[in-house]
Amino acid sequence: MTGVAYSVWLPLFTLFYVAVMLYWVRVAARQVSGDDGFFSAGHSLAPWISALVTAGASLSGWFVLGGSRQIAEYGFQMPAVLVAGVTLALPGVVFFKRLWYVAERLRVSSQADIFRVYYKSPFLVVVSTIVAVLFAVGFSGLQLRALSQAVVLLTDGAVTQLTASVIFGFVLFAGAGIGGMRAISYFGVIQTVIAFAAIVVLAGFALIWSGGFGALNAGLLALSNTPDAMALFTVNGVIHFTSGLGRGGDPATASTALANLSMALAFMGFQASPMVLKVVLSTRSPNAFAAGQTWVVAGFCGALIAFAIALIGAAGLVDPGLALEGILIRLQTQSPWFAAWIFIGVAAGVQLLAGLSLFVAGEGLVRHVYKPYFNARLSKHGSVTLTRIAIAVLAVLVMVLQNLAPVTPSALAALALPMAFQLWTPLLGVTWLGWITRPAAITGVGFGIAGVILTEPLGYEVLSFFGLELPWGRWPWTIHSALWGMAANVAAVLIISAITNRKALGPEAIEIRKLLSGVLSTGPDVRTLRSTAWSVVLAWFFLAVGPGLIFGNYAFVQSGEDTTTWLVGMPSLWAWSLGAWVCGVGLVWFLGYKMEMASPSHVAIPPYEPPLRLKQDQSDLERERLRALIITGAAGFVLAVLVAFSFGG
Amino acid sequence: MIERDLLVFAIWAVLGFGGLALLLEGFSRDSYWISLAGIAAIVAGFVAHIVVNGVFDCTFRPGEAALGIGTFGVMALAFIVGWLSGGMSQADYLAGLTLFAVLAFGFLAYLSTRYGLRGAFSHFHHKHADGGDPTS
Repeated sequence: MTGVAYSVWLPLFTLFYVAVMLYWVRVAARQVSGDDGFFSAGHSLAPWISALVTAGASLSGWFVLGGSRQIAEYGFQMPAVLVAGVTLALPGVVFFKRLWYVAERLRVSSQADIFRVYYKSPFLVVVSTIVAVLFAVGFSGLQLRALSQAVVLLTDGAVTQLTASVIFGFVLFAGAGIGGMRAISYFGVIQTVIAFAAIVVLAGFALIWSGGFGALNAGLLALSNTPDAMALFTVNGVIHFTSGLGRGGDPATASTALANLSMALAFMGFQASPMVLKVVLSTRSPNAFAAGQTWVVAGFCGALIAFAIALIGAAGLVDPGLALEGILIRLQTQSPWFAAWIFIGVAAGVQLLAGLSLFVAGEGLVRHVYKPYFNARLSKHGSVTLTRIAIAVLAVLVMVLQNLAPVTPSALAALALPMAFQLWTPLLGVTWLGWITRPAAITGVGFGIAGVILTEPLGYEVLSFFGLELPWGRWPWTIHSALWGMAANVAAVLIISAITNRKALGPEAIEIRKLLSGVLSTGPDVRTLRSTAWSVVLAWFFLAVGPGLIFGNYAFVQSGEDTTTWLVGMPSLWAWSLGAWVCGVGLVWFLGYKMEMASPSHVAIPPYEPPLRLKQDQSDLERERLRALIITGAAGFVLAVLVAFSFGG
Repeated sequence: MIERDLLVFAIWAVLGFGGLALLLEGFSRDSYWISLAGIAAIVAGFVAHIVVNGVFDCTFRPGEAALGIGTFGVMALAFIVGWLSGGMSQADYLAGLTLFAVLAFGFLAYLSTRYGLRGAFSHFHHKHADGGDPTS
């Protein structure tokens, strides 16, 4: 095989990928009449397209890039990663159906719209937009950086990281900026299937090069018998009262049961994020949510994570040369066509999420923040054009940050999932818990975000810059920031809901409450199953991702005096997680279908007709807002500089 | 038809490229069985494509037919050039013959099952309006 042969396949497959993407962008652009349908695909996405894109975005490239690395470096200490298919699917079961009906009634198409109409809260709208920006710039930016580095590896430096990131940036803008939501969804189907295929093939190579499943587990068993590596195969207690990872001599990783539980909760933030809800609310029918969440996300994606990604990680654990980068380099030498195909698949998974989050962030900044609060006269055409510009600017920002300031995307990425998880409380207020009041939802999210930021590096580094040294580091007591934030969030919601007027609802909120307690109310069969449902949910969380994981340490292990035997031929926690995944699919099915939380229902929802109101000229108010924003920003900047000079280091 | 086209693209993105990669792997390793797996993937792609056509009650689009026949031609040319240059192993030769035999047989089987033997022939042989008589 010549050097030219090594290098020809990756550009060839990349060209083909870009050509297919541009084809679908063209198809999508031709379907957009005027500017209608750019933001929400005319609410016409087929349910199966929505299910696949949701699954692809949920799995994203993170599980291949980050999940496999987690296992390759830290072993099976975090089984929450292995059952992530289930925890990713659960929010969809809880929210999708009801939010779709809410959006159908109010004729809105995004999470920010729902918050604006239901809670009338600019704060929640801004938080929803910030979460999308965090996913676009941080979460996706970090993955794109990993991809750019992989390109450098695969081309032996012939393509630089900067060039690769420019190409990725262009592809992202072309996909999301030109074609809008339709292009993202159409091409998202293709991206999803090639990402799934790439993961399966990658796992196949990992398995073959490890010598088969038996040899791989023999290697793992030998590793587990070495004193240094024994901890890689167990969950290390329920909780450690440390002052935070990487602080005060504490280790930089956490592997307790509570670390697992809180990480599982962070995963549950993804399907409560504005990106996934954008896809859901652009769908023409809610009748595939149960099937999509049960069989595609929890079933198929769950299997990919529990088997394929675990295999890739385990191969890297036994032989670091078989970690993801090692496999790609070896493939590039021996079978460059497979290396190119797999790389394009992984890139497609990352690009799906990156494109979607760039689009939703751009839309949020223009349509949900700029237009309603600063320029209400902006036309639909103007909104589309401005959104395209915002997407381009964000794509450039992602590219610049990943090349010039790689720590920033990393710090921002750490906030994305836990902050999205904080949106659970306002979403529950809209869909299930009508007693959550407007002040409670807003304050709860505010407290939740504070809890997240203060337990992540960004928060304590920023405070340290201003001279305030927090006594804790990342994830104190080995609890992920998602749970710290949610503890503050729930406490605020409960207290404030108890002391504020629950009847103080706007006309749209009253309409929603009527809708949910009317046509979407559950029948007597479901009500009798409620206690069972609570029991199985709590039991699953306890055993699959909570303190019950301690049982998983020893469930399938027989320890002799000198030797350890794995009763099912694989690490006990891996087997435990596979069992938890199977039970989890059953749980998602039970909640989705039997509890009717996501089941198909054929109810026609007429659009809500708001009471007629006189349109008032908002120009003065908008100018006032802009002035206030500029003054606040300037004052904040000056104050920050003064504090930093006075107390910071 | 958008949904049908999406499915077709998805099928070929997985089975087409997977099959191609396996074929190339088989050729590079001189392994008939790996090549055969690639051929099976390509055949599975065709079968899935035909099933999708059946579900959406349509046939291959002209562009798809042209792309398929063009790809077949390019592969046949590459095979003949490889054979004439003498750079093919026994396994490569067998794999190539199997691929072309399967594709040709599959093509004829598809036409005859979809249009019937007479109809399949008529699909290509268009009678002139003058009944083939240039003098009339």
